[in-house]
Amino acid sequence: MDTAGKRILMAKTGLDGHWRGPTVVAKALRDAGFEVIMIGMARPEEMVQASVDEDVDLVGLNIGGHIDVAVRAINMVRESRPEVPIFVGGVVPPHAKRKLEALGVEVYPPGSQLPDIVAAARRLTGLA
Amino acid sequence: MNAKNNKDRVWKSASGLPLQKFYSEDDIPQEQRQRLASDPGMAPFHRGAHPGGYRTKPWRIFQLSGFGKPEDENERIRFLLEQGETGFIMEHDRNTGDHCYNVDHPDVVARREDVGLTGAVMQSVRDIDICMKDLPLETSFGHAGGAVVQHAPFALAGYWTVARHRGIDLARLPGTGQSDFFLTYLGCVTKQQIPTAAGLRFNADIMEFCDKHLPRWVPVSIAGYNGADTGLNAYQELGALFANSVEYLDEIKRRKTMPLENAARACSGVNFRASMDLFEEASKMRAARLMWQQLLERRYGITNPKVANLRIHCVTAGSRMTYQQPLNNIVRGTVMALAAALGGVQSMGVSGYDEALSIPSEHAHQMSVRIQQILQEETNIEAVTDPLGGSFYVETLTAELVERAWEFFDEIQEQGGFLATLDSGWLHERAAENQSEDFRQQESGEQVIIGVTDHKDDISPFEVDGFMGVDDAYDVALERLHEVRRTRYEAGASRALKELETVCRDGSNIMPAMMDALEAEVTLGEIGDIYRSVFGDWATPIQT
Amino acid sequence: MHEQLKQQLEHAQAGDRGALARLISVLESGGSDAAILERCLRARHGGGYTVGITGAPGAGKSTLVSALLGEVLAEPGRVALLAVDPSSPLSRGALLGDRVRMQPHAGSPDVFIRSMASRGHLGGLAMATRSARRLLEACGWPLTLIETVGVGQVELDVASATDTVVVVLNPGWGDEVQANKAGLMEVADIFVINKADKAGLDATRRDLEGALASLPPERRPQVLETIATEGKGAAALWQAIRDHRAAITASGELEQRRLAQVRSELKGMMDALLANQVQRLFEGQDAHARVLAVSEGSLDIATASDQMLDLLYDQAAGRV
Repeated sequence: MDTAGKRILMAKTGLDGHWRGPTVVAKALRDAGFEVIMIGMARPEEMVQASVDEDVDLVGLNIGGHIDVAVRAINMVRESRPEVPIFVGGVVPPHAKRKLEALGVEVYPPGSQLPDIVAAARRLTGLA
Repeated sequence: MNAKNNKDRVWKSASGLPLQKFYSEDDIPQEQRQRLASDPGMAPFHRGAHPGGYRTKPWRIFQLSGFGKPEDENERIRFLLEQGETGFIMEHDRNTGDHCYNVDHPDVVARREDVGLTGAVMQSVRDIDICMKDLPLETSFGHAGGAVVQHAPFALAGYWTVARHRGIDLARLPGTGQSDFFLTYLGCVTKQQIPTAAGLRFNADIMEFCDKHLPRWVPVSIAGYNGADTGLNAYQELGALFANSVEYLDEIKRRKTMPLENAARACSGVNFRASMDLFEEASKMRAARLMWQQLLERRYGITNPKVANLRIHCVTAGSRMTYQQPLNNIVRGTVMALAAALGGVQSMGVSGYDEALSIPSEHAHQMSVRIQQILQEETNIEAVTDPLGGSFYVETLTAELVERAWEFFDEIQEQGGFLATLDSGWLHERAAENQSEDFRQQESGEQVIIGVTDHKDDISPFEVDGFMGVDDAYDVALERLHEVRRTRYEAGASRALKELETVCRDGSNIMPAMMDALEAEVTLGEIGDIYRSVFGDWATPIQT
Repeated sequence: MHEQLKQQLEHAQAGDRGALARLISVLESGGSDAAILERCLRARHGGGYTVGITGAPGAGKSTLVSALLGEVLAEPGRVALLAVDPSSPLSRGALLGDRVRMQPHAGSPDVFIRSMASRGHLGGLAMATRSARRLLEACGWPLTLIETVGVGQVELDVASATDTVVVVLNPGWGDEVQANKAGLMEVADIFVINKADKAGLDATRRDLEGALASLPPERRPQVLETIATEGKGAAALWQAIRDHRAAITASGELEQRRLAQVRSELKGMMDALLANQVQRLFEGQDAHARVLAVSEGSLDIATASDQMLDLLYDQAAGRV
């Protein structure tokens, strides 16, 4: 199915500037036909505003650091856009991964392969 | 990769150099063959910095460490020193440090639980004092933190101020900061940063200040590591690193404020990455020494062997530490450390086996030290200098890396120089190309990572849960920030801050005013506010 | 469907940003819903003003726009931004990164930022940019900035979609100024030499002013200097935009420009509609028969095309 017009917001929850992972993922999503709106390091309220104004179909968060920061961001985005699915990637220790999965968020830790991430984006935006 | 595929496989080094089945004497380029006559410790130094090698001085075990409150970090550093670490790195919290924010900055408050995860929060000289409690400043090699360029003047001035309070003569104080362009503008592009031109000024200021007051201090440490771990391959890492050196040296040459030879010496302690291609990485360290000697002689006419003799700190590739089956990373760390040791580096840090999961746990840290101790004490590797010297393969590889690295160096000059390639994003593009290629090769099966692309095992019996630090770092930091503001001599602090702003604007050396500011207990965020108003923000060339 | 769209429009006009954002998506996806929505926008001509910002990639447009947003907000004012980036011609995906630079303002309720992928549309705008601007105006946004795709040369489309056009250049671009002289003069109301702290500023200013010398003084665009990363010159730019607006309003030129904008958009829409109709015609039997006839030599191509034009009119008439 056609990905044309499906929009994904990509944000980083932390203030850490490693861009290697998120950039490779963003390019893979673009190459799969998605429109990827990148906002970089953002506070939860900035993610909320962007997810609303940009009318996105999926939110991808690059997380690292403390799990509570990610959980706060996830909860705030959900509050204003409850219908939009969220997936996350980044340095996520196993205990944090379990916690996020319990919240219904898909987690892609380091070593995840791009085709799997692209497939998830297609599935989560209702394309597959 | 199973055996039957090997028939059609194109064998290449990690940086893409084509590899032969075996090498003979004829394969070594003529120029390199002539260099076989030079012993270790002789120019052009590719065979080693010193003829005695590790017999004379074992490599320094130098681990990045830091988390929590300053007292937590102090405790971890002392633990590592007890375990046999021979230098120490004082990592500052990166949320606050990299951005020069205090913890009450809205961008930090929004991520308060992250505070203290990557280093201790040090907002004033009081915090730095706590972190440095009882550390052997004069007898071990200290890293004051300040890896990011805009943070370095604060971190260095803080360390030096505490040392001075303890009655240490700065002229005798050993150590380093980092103030690295690769980290700041390529590998870890933070939310806010002074522009590269202002960064160059800071680093030249630090070099001048050390030349006058801290002759034993290594003022800047260019970290090709951060370029390599972002995607630059071995020869790109080499070429870009020396393109960076040239920016510093040309700036000092333009200023005419210190002898160029001293400036070259100030730049002669560098940082490379060691990754998994054992022989290429060992050859890279040899190539680096050779290139530094060539650069100084050809471009600046400097031949003094004390200066032309590159000293290398090497860190094993954090990006090659896998999330899956993390104990495999102990093996990877060992191989990478071996590559660095075979290349004759002076100092080493091994990434924690839990690098892809979290900051290093105490156990992971201990293993990083143990790996190096086992290599040093049990393998007899220290006995002979440049053990790979004369190998047909390694000599050829060394020469090829040198050749390609100078080509890459020239490409950077054609782009307008190292700073220009950071401003335009050209260097980021080179790194990104390699990142994408890596992913492609992993998908196609050309690149195998055990536990990730092959031999996957979801039910690993050796699961590691990652280390989460302490949970009161933010609260304590906030309390201490208020405390400093309440109890410092306010008129002195505001006078020092004003003076710092004047200096930032008028272009004179920033360090004396920074020393005064730290002495007057000016806080990190106040200094950052001045930077932001004077220098503005770097226009990041990448989208994250 | 009609009712639902109308309701959403009412919400958007009452200040619901989510509704506004969804309606922009409707316009972007085109088709019948977009046409229905456009019909609702007809009678709601607001007093909005539109400023276009164009220039080559890397000129610093986004950073400049961010600084400009700061000036507008400080007034205080409200401002919407449509930031257009190219879609990949192969995958049709896009990386839209302009918001990164807008971060200081992205949280303000007085700013609405929308990233748009060009979706194959050439000329620096996305197909739905004009429609989105109209929607923003209908929803009470008094000022819309449109940041165009930077594709290496000045994009002429922006002039037919905006009231004031700002062209962003950099020092050292003397050659570009010479090469694009005609285009620059045609579109620019204000020139900005951004990154004014870089070498080559004077030469670029000289080249630019030389190129503009032939214009009568009252039509000569202002040339400003900015260092957007430090916010320098943003206030002067905002002032220049306001001056330009006042001048063309007083002289009656704004009215002429608006007419030209409508003419250009209407003609563009007709072109697209006609192309669509022609395409449909060629998918049918009538076209096929004539193609065969011309190829056999039983019909000449001029007559064939006249006949096809008649068929096209019939087809259009039948549709009404």
